Amino acid sequence: MTLKVRTEHLSAWYGAKRGIEDISLDFEEHAVTAIIGPSGCGKSTLIRCMNRLHEVIPKARSEGKVLLDGEDIYALSAVSVRRRIGMVFQKANPFPTMSVYDNVSAGLRLNGVRDRKRLDETVLRSLKHAALWDEVRDSLDAPGVSLSGGQQQRLCIARALAVEPEVLLMDEPCSALDPIATAKIEDLIFDLKKEYTVVVVTHNMQQAARVADYTAFLYLGKLIEVNRTRELFERPAQDLTEKYITGRFG
Amino acid sequence: MKLPKFPNPFRGLPLRFDREGRRLWKDFGMSIAAFVCVVIALVPLGSILIEAAVRGLQAIGPSFFLLDTAYGGIGNAIQGTLILVAFASAISLPVGILTGIYLSEFGKNRFGDAIRFFVDVMTQIPSIVVGIFVYSLILLLSVSGIVSVRLVFSAVAGTIALATIMIPFVARTAEEALRLVSVSTREAALALGIPRHRMILRVVLPTGASGLVTGALLGVARVGGETAPLLMTAYGSGFGFSGLDQPVESLPHTIYTFALSPYTGQNQAAWGASLVLVLMMLMISVFSRLLLRSRYPLGGAGR
Amino acid sequence: MPEKAERKALAEGLRALNENMVTLADLSELAIRKAVDGLTRLDPDVSDEVFTLDGEIYALQLEIEKNCVDLIALHAPVARDLRTITTSLKITTDFDRIGRYAKDIAEITLRFRGKEPDHLRNLGSIPEMTEIAIQLVDKAIRAFVARDAESVRHIQEDDDAVDLLEERAFEELVDKMTSRSLDVGVGARYILVTRYLERIADHAVNIGQRVVYMVTGDRVPRIRAVDRANRTR
Repeated sequence: MTLKVRTEHLSAWYGAKRGIEDISLDFEEHAVTAIIGPSGCGKSTLIRCMNRLHEVIPKARSEGKVLLDGEDIYALSAVSVRRRIGMVFQKANPFPTMSVYDNVSAGLRLNGVRDRKRLDETVLRSLKHAALWDEVRDSLDAPGVSLSGGQQQRLCIARALAVEPEVLLMDEPCSALDPIATAKIEDLIFDLKKEYTVVVVTHNMQQAARVADYTAFLYLGKLIEVNRTRELFERPAQDLTEKYITGRFG
Repeated sequence: MKLPKFPNPFRGLPLRFDREGRRLWKDFGMSIAAFVCVVIALVPLGSILIEAAVRGLQAIGPSFFLLDTAYGGIGNAIQGTLILVAFASAISLPVGILTGIYLSEFGKNRFGDAIRFFVDVMTQIPSIVVGIFVYSLILLLSVSGIVSVRLVFSAVAGTIALATIMIPFVARTAEEALRLVSVSTREAALALGIPRHRMILRVVLPTGASGLVTGALLGVARVGGETAPLLMTAYGSGFGFSGLDQPVESLPHTIYTFALSPYTGQNQAAWGASLVLVLMMLMISVFSRLLLRSRYPLGGAGR
Repeated sequence: MPEKAERKALAEGLRALNENMVTLADLSELAIRKAVDGLTRLDPDVSDEVFTLDGEIYALQLEIEKNCVDLIALHAPVARDLRTITTSLKITTDFDRIGRYAKDIAEITLRFRGKEPDHLRNLGSIPEMTEIAIQLVDKAIRAFVARDAESVRHIQEDDDAVDLLEERAFEELVDKMTSRSLDVGVGARYILVTRYLERIADHAVNIGQRVVYMVTGDRVPRIRAVDRANRTR
């Protein structure tokens, strides 16, 4: 089992308030790891530390390490970390002034790539990877925001994939979507893991059960349990985990 | 353009006075009261426009626009206003927008708060005080020999005064416009590995562009009608623009002088000039609104 | 909050399931007791009662199956709930089987047609077997109701006694039949009874082991008595 990303004793604060405490978690390469837990348990904080987005918030700080292929991400530049670890957000956020094409190619264009051919290829490849190509192939110049909710989210996934990251972090990617769009994205996640390492934060346990190889349960900022999904859902080791997944608290 | 449907307050009026009926009558009464208040609010605005139109139209003709104020026209006044506003914008738009960018992107700290506070204070300074300030500043500079004393009453002085009023205004509206760009748009850009300066320049600015443009146009509209600061700086002249270091006429100033003059011809010209000024301001507002709609057909900026 | 409401429905479903399981268990135990009682006294009326019980057991078993499938379809249960439901689904088969063997014993009682002079002597170790078998069933049911895994973790060993008794009874009966002191047609019936009792005990062991899984998630390995003996040596 190759570990693509690891956190070591990671803690993070927003000002005086602690978001996560002493989390050491491994993420296997080419696997989907789900992070579940009740609202406010630190799931989003955790992944935002992983692509160094946490530090952008004023008065935020963190301790501990995050290792990408064994390298401390704080030893690298934030920009290069974020190119290797991409993120998709809870609410689809395509750039409002850009077309579908421009949205997908934004990561490359805004980093200086001008070669039209390369951009065209990237857009095609990314949209195909995100299972959106067939639906938008004839309207690449339409505004990004003119797509439906589910399509917009897949657009954001395509945009993230266009910069060819190694890891994809997804923060509750389906929470704003209807069941059909959700199913499409879950299928997509299933395919994506062949080439990427995926981390999905979700508050929907059935979703974790459906898509993830490994599941980690967080509660009040601490890591309670992590295991192969089928083990965690069939025989959780911790009482707290059992209570959460069977819905007996909250 | 579809006019909004006028709500019919008489619809559904009950013919009873039990509790349900009383509530409906109260509702009806409030609707009437609100409507009356709207009328009261619109009356002064409407009457200004009507007065200006009625009295001013008589003065308007081709010569009105071509002649200088020395000859009863307002040609040089329009020219002067345009020049002053153009130069003032040339200075204040970049400075104001950059300040706005700083405040919204980098100003989430004590220093930023302090700047914001001072900018707010500056937007409240009475414009005549700005006029006095610029006047004394140039005077002092000329006394110590740094600049020529001619500049005290000149287009340059007028430009500086208008810019001083415009900068804080544009800075604030620019900051607001950029604030409207959602955090998630910025995060999306950062998450792609786009460096911060490029995120601001090529994602945030274009997204907030319509808001910025609106703010700029409103700033222009604001200073276009200022009179007091120009009294002690640009001063006024009967003739057309003759150099940056010379006094220059402006529309508000023309209205002021013509209205107080004993000649009825000039009084009427004052009404004409008023109409022209109001129409200019109106056109800027409408234009900025159209711009907003064309960029965002569904309405709203920075979504 | 919809999440809470869904769990209430699940909790209610689980409670009803448990009630049904307990009823099923009681019916099965009652069936064997009656069947063996009927055989001992060669009373055909008791056999009829056992047939009725078997019918009820079968019907209840079907309903429990349906309950379980519904709970899974509607509530996507996990962890303990999931194990409880899948265990229930499986052990209904065991209880049903126990009921069937009880019925089979009752059938044999009918075949005797109430006459058999040496009956009690010929029964031999059958009463002893019956006692142990019933105890095992009882133990398994108690463990299920109390959700007590430890009491049944080694239930397989208790079954060894039943297996030994069955062997002994088999040999005794074969002896008697070859020495002609017992009619083969009759002797064969006794052998069948011992067989049924041994199977009943096996099903009790199944139930016990599934209870261990239901409570702890552990799966107890099935080891032949011989190998177990070898291991402890």
